[in-house]
Amino acid sequence: MTKSLETHELRKAFGGVTALDGASVSFRHGRVNALIGPNGSGKTTFFNCVTGMIRPDSGTTTYQGQDITRKAPHRIVHAGIGRTFQLCRVFPRMTALDNVLAAVRPVGVTRALLGARHRSEVDRARSWLTRLGIEHLAGVEARTMSWGQQKLLELAGVLNAGPETILLDEPAGGVNPALLDRIGTLVRELNAEGRTFVIVEHNMDLVMSISDHIVVFDRGRPIAEGPPQQIRTDERVLGAYLGV
Amino acid sequence: MRNASRVATLGAAVVLAAALLLFPSVAPNPYVLSAGIVVLNYAVVATSWNFVGGFTGYISLGHGALAGLGGYATGLLVTKAGLASFLALAVAAVLIALLAVPLGMAALRVRGASFVIVSIAIVLILLLVFQSWASFTGGSRGLVIPRPFPDLSRPEHHRAFWYLYAGLLALVLIAWWLIDRSRFGLGLKAIREDEDKAEALGTPTFAYKLIVFVVSAFFTALGGGLYALWFGDLDPVFQFSILSGSYLVLMALLGGVRNLFGPVVGAVVVGVALEYFKVSFGDTQLHLVATGVLLGLVVMFMPDGVLPALGSLVKRLRPDDTASIREETASELRDQRLASSTAGDRR
Repeated sequence: MTKSLETHELRKAFGGVTALDGASVSFRHGRVNALIGPNGSGKTTFFNCVTGMIRPDSGTTTYQGQDITRKAPHRIVHAGIGRTFQLCRVFPRMTALDNVLAAVRPVGVTRALLGARHRSEVDRARSWLTRLGIEHLAGVEARTMSWGQQKLLELAGVLNAGPETILLDEPAGGVNPALLDRIGTLVRELNAEGRTFVIVEHNMDLVMSISDHIVVFDRGRPIAEGPPQQIRTDERVLGAYLGV
Repeated sequence: MRNASRVATLGAAVVLAAALLLFPSVAPNPYVLSAGIVVLNYAVVATSWNFVGGFTGYISLGHGALAGLGGYATGLLVTKAGLASFLALAVAAVLIALLAVPLGMAALRVRGASFVIVSIAIVLILLLVFQSWASFTGGSRGLVIPRPFPDLSRPEHHRAFWYLYAGLLALVLIAWWLIDRSRFGLGLKAIREDEDKAEALGTPTFAYKLIVFVVSAFFTALGGGLYALWFGDLDPVFQFSILSGSYLVLMALLGGVRNLFGPVVGAVVVGVALEYFKVSFGDTQLHLVATGVLLGLVVMFMPDGVLPALGSLVKRLRPDDTASIREETASELRDQRLASSTAGDRR
């Protein structure tokens, strides 16, 4: 397995609060990785720095050997990293189909000026909606969909951008058990097709059941990493996260 | 649903085309025709504003000044450089589009209220420059621009400009429609909904915003330049006015920023109302009070504008054919999985 996404000494402070304190992590290609840790341990800030949504104060991020630290978020998407947000974000007044079509892979000027509803693109977008079980909502405005459906829609959009590595920020947050089951299955299926995942999640049942590798954050830096069975019994993790 | 929308757009286009062709013949006198040209100018510039405001949600109060720049650039190219009127108009629009690149690069770095404030600042700076640089712009004395058709009588002059404006409006509407249905347009609408999310899905948001700002400035300058050739006299106080920019926002909001014809409908309502108030109440500021009240009413009762409100009304009267948005229960999912595994076993 090759290293896919790596950070070196990533630091980010907001005023006097240090969110990331020299985080050096590597996620290998082809794995389902989980990033866990107590609230405020810097997990979402880590995602935001990696995806270019915020600039780290120092440190570097490389993806498949390429430095992406200072790249704009859309260039990081084009490099192959997609993400969802902790509080699910969809385009509320656009239809579900347009939400998925809005995901952009690099296109030339001519292609950008052509109709957004090119048959092949619509077919591709619909296929993601179908796979996530929300194809019947293709013409419905996203704002009228339930929270769980919006979570699936957000993931469909990310998948349509064609990333090899997907960062999911709390995919289980606020979803019912049936949908949670579906999301877990979907992650494993997509991983089997070659996609790498990094998942921030507090639902330990989900994390332990779908992850190959877990990194534990505390106070802005990793304190432990390893396979689920190792993390489950790691004393530092039990102390910092599970409060045992 | 999409077909119904297409039919409505086509119907509206036919009605608008008929109105544009017939109005000069039915206008009772040259004054009404000239008032119609003012409204048509508003329609062109408000639709041009809607490239930025409608697609990206960035509310610019500076578009009145972009029209003013187009007017002054056209006038100065005619009077100082000796260019033919309509060549000057085209060159001026290109120049303003080029100027929009650095303007956009500065202004589009900020969002929301900050962008509105930057757009106001641009208006005020331009007003100062054009008032102070009297040796070049004519300053407060104004800039007189020779008529492009000196042999025509005033009614014929109005009639010619009516059709020129009608052609320009058609061009602007076609450009807006083309962007609306393009991948580029979808990216712009994604920016309007959630700019960070659009960027996170791969849209180069800054480049998209800048391109559409430049396109908008080009058409706004064409509208302003044509106005300069028609009216023949420019004054910085009126050309670089926050009020004129606010009128454009009101028109687009009133008609509906997400609709092709929204700013046109808004321009007709607000343009006619402004003319009525000016004729009926002279130099009082009653027209400002009226437009303020209108803006309040629109924001409170029709935040999406008149056309979407009408569309919702029509939709409410039709039988509901929207898909169910209920979630599936665990038992339904279990049944589906069972059915698919049974089908898999058969294969």
